[in-house]
Amino acid sequence: MKQKIINSFILFIFLLIGLSLFKLQVIQQRIYKYLSSKNSIRLLPQFGARGKILDRNGSVIIGNYLSYDVLVLPQEEAQINRTIYNVSRILNITSDRLKDKFKSDYIAPSIPVVIAQNINFKQAIALEEARLESPGIIIQPHPLRDYPYGSLASHVIGYLGEIDRWRLTKLADYGYKTKDIVGFGGIEEKYDYYLRQEEGALSVEVDHQGKFIRTLGYRPPKNGKDIQLTLDLNIQEIAENNLRGHIGSVILMAPDTGEIIAMASYPDFNPEVFIKDSPSRGGLFNDPKAPLLNRAISGVYPPGSVFKSVVAAAGLETGKINLSSTFLCTGSIYIGNQEFSCWDTHGQQGLLQALAHSCNIFFYKTGLLLGAEQIHYYAVKFGLGRTCGIDLPYESSGIVPSPLWKRLHRFKGWYAGDTVNFAIGQGDLLVTPLQLTRMMAVFANSGMLVTPYIVKAIDGEDISIYQKKTQRLPLKDSTVDYIRSGLRRVVSEPTGTARVLSGLKVDVAGKTGTAQVSRGQPHAWFVGFFPFKNPKFVICVFLEHGGSAAASCSLARQIIEEICKRGLI
Amino acid sequence: MTFKGPNITIFIVSILIALIGILSIYSSTYQKQEAPLQQIYQRQMLWVVLGLIVFLIMSNFSYRRFWDIAYILYALAIFLLLLVFMLGVARLGAQRWLKFPWFNFQPSEIAKLIIVIFLAKYFSRKSVDNVSLLVNKSGIMKGLLLPFIFVLIPIAFIIEQPDLGSAAMILAIFMAMLYMSGVKLRYLMVFLFLIILALPLVWEGLRDYQRERLLVFLNPNIDPLGAGYTVIQSKIAIGSGGVFGKGWLSGTQSQLRFLPESHTDFIFATFAEEWGLIGSVFLLWLYYLLAKQGIIIASKTNDYFGKMLAFGISLMLTIQVAINISMTLGLAPVVGLPLPLMSYGGSSMIITFAALGILVNINKERGVF
Repeated sequence: MKQKIINSFILFIFLLIGLSLFKLQVIQQRIYKYLSSKNSIRLLPQFGARGKILDRNGSVIIGNYLSYDVLVLPQEEAQINRTIYNVSRILNITSDRLKDKFKSDYIAPSIPVVIAQNINFKQAIALEEARLESPGIIIQPHPLRDYPYGSLASHVIGYLGEIDRWRLTKLADYGYKTKDIVGFGGIEEKYDYYLRQEEGALSVEVDHQGKFIRTLGYRPPKNGKDIQLTLDLNIQEIAENNLRGHIGSVILMAPDTGEIIAMASYPDFNPEVFIKDSPSRGGLFNDPKAPLLNRAISGVYPPGSVFKSVVAAAGLETGKINLSSTFLCTGSIYIGNQEFSCWDTHGQQGLLQALAHSCNIFFYKTGLLLGAEQIHYYAVKFGLGRTCGIDLPYESSGIVPSPLWKRLHRFKGWYAGDTVNFAIGQGDLLVTPLQLTRMMAVFANSGMLVTPYIVKAIDGEDISIYQKKTQRLPLKDSTVDYIRSGLRRVVSEPTGTARVLSGLKVDVAGKTGTAQVSRGQPHAWFVGFFPFKNPKFVICVFLEHGGSAAASCSLARQIIEEICKRGLI
Repeated sequence: MTFKGPNITIFIVSILIALIGILSIYSSTYQKQEAPLQQIYQRQMLWVVLGLIVFLIMSNFSYRRFWDIAYILYALAIFLLLLVFMLGVARLGAQRWLKFPWFNFQPSEIAKLIIVIFLAKYFSRKSVDNVSLLVNKSGIMKGLLLPFIFVLIPIAFIIEQPDLGSAAMILAIFMAMLYMSGVKLRYLMVFLFLIILALPLVWEGLRDYQRERLLVFLNPNIDPLGAGYTVIQSKIAIGSGGVFGKGWLSGTQSQLRFLPESHTDFIFATFAEEWGLIGSVFLLWLYYLLAKQGIIIASKTNDYFGKMLAFGISLMLTIQVAINISMTLGLAPVVGLPLPLMSYGGSSMIITFAALGILVNINKERGVF
């Protein structure tokens, strides 16, 4: 009896063990298999290089260099401390700081933690040797942005940073993850999807100390696609060197195609500070001079007299004026009981002289003949008041006022005084330098409104055919011709406002502008094109609070001179 | 020895288990580059050979002689435990080993067998007329307290080492043999009641790490990197083996050393990971066969001492296998108990083979009485 009980008891115990084996090895085997592979398999991300950014001739503006990151595999605490101590000795960083970094970035036991970035080659070699003692250290090459020209074209290029929450929610569907490095501003942002590298991974088997045993699998990283711009590195350099020290913007554009040859904005910034832990980064956001703002496309300013070319075109098109129309400039006119003055007394002025001398009275009167609606109509035709559609982010549209606009936004009626101000590019009219460049291109290329663009090719494939969107404006050939010759006279006549630009190797045509502002010095503009006969460049020089247009003219002269001297035309 | 019936089964099954043990030890030390570990399976082979010699000697050594020397053996066990207590070698935080020039000897292993022999004799003493068993008539004093005190002395030493597993095992053997002997059942109840009463006291007397292990047994996740680590890794090893196992030399848990003690106390996890449910059920069946032979021999033996001894040995084996495998499965707290015939170590191997030899001898000589 007792023997039977003992016998059944033994059988019972063995059955119990057998049942729990069944539970573990059959019912729960999937979870334990998963846990087992999680134990021994580590995934090491492999980074590709972000696409390079090239100029129109294929020279590298922004490239990559190989930096090294230090990663640590999570292990037992004592071992981690020893490993971190070894790393801190070599990198000369206190181990407390590394430990904090480890703790804050720790995700899971199977994922290595980055504790230091961008170490130099010597340190990488020293750490590689330290791995004999601490196998938990991983040195990983990590291509980083290289800025060989520093701040050159910084506004066009943009900078890199860790993805923010706003972008993440927007881009999560496109495979973006937290902690991804993405572009902010410029090409880096607009073409981030093409430029971004695709992470690869190496899955390795490790033992309980994190020591490498064997490679299980490898997916190579993919480099991002290179992007070739329409910028010319040399001309960009010339533009920036001359602009340096002023606040403003310089744009050079091919008039027939809309290719941006150079786009400078100053003050600028060095994008490098965003990839290195640099304290000067914060200052960029708070600087009252707004160095991160690309004035060429995002800044809006009154165009001043440059706008007169639009008014002239409107007058000729509508037949309100013709080449023989003249107005008498006596220095000022009265509209109602308000005096509107000219900057000089020009006497009897025809259209061509009025353009050359930038006579206000002529355009006041032309403007009054046209009326605000007509000026608005032509301003919009010339691409003002809407974005140009350049392939850069954060383009502003500016404002072209009209009676309706004023009613809606200012809650006031439109007066004749508004019309005359409008006619000389003052008042509520606001434009970006790029809009004026595009407007000027219409006269340079005989009536085509181009769409400016800056990306020529992606990954070697020419995409300019998709970019070139030009639209013929319904202007009479004669209108364009007349204004062209007027613009030439601005430079060629001894009394022209841009006479400093005469006597160069190439014939320049263009229009100056001195835009009054409510506070401070007026903005200085020169927008023109050259060579006059067969224009290859439209140039726009804008100086914020630059004083008089003469300042921008002399800056334009230096730039054009240098382009000629270096045979870039 | 006669090659028939339980004897041949015991012989073949024990060699089979020992070979499985060597395979598993070879696998668990396979990728461990350190030189001394590479030789572990060779040493284990030596232990198996020595164990088989002891097995053969014991199977031809009349078990009745143990009746004569049972008390001397008891004194020897106490002496050895005392010796460990005074000059033993501490390893893994416990002082369980006596150091010899080329091996370490663990007296608590031999103490288990000696206590089985001792209890077998104690419970099979007969009255002067040589007809009835004394134990049937003994009161609570002689039937329960006196043998308990005899068992308590070595247990106290073993707990002090500390080796909670062996202590608990001896207690379990004592209870089982008490049950098998003619002692009145109500004494057993009293004993169980006393044990339960004593539990809080035992808890007080435990070392910190022992308490921790017991708490971790209740919930291994309270300390996944410390005391719970072994159990978690062991369960992962066994569970990830699945039905067919990962194959010999391919168990990642043991080969990459996520599983601590993979060739000693947790050898079963190593085996189960590589051979799966099929292998582990087969192994379980082998152990059951072994235990069953003991019960068969006991039931066939008329000599009461032989009967008790065969029961005791069979239960000792079963309890040790059950506790060890249960702890690898997370069904029992982690106590340092080797898996008989499989775990690396000479003391356990030789003592287990000696016990099996005694079993064979009982079977051989039972016709004599």
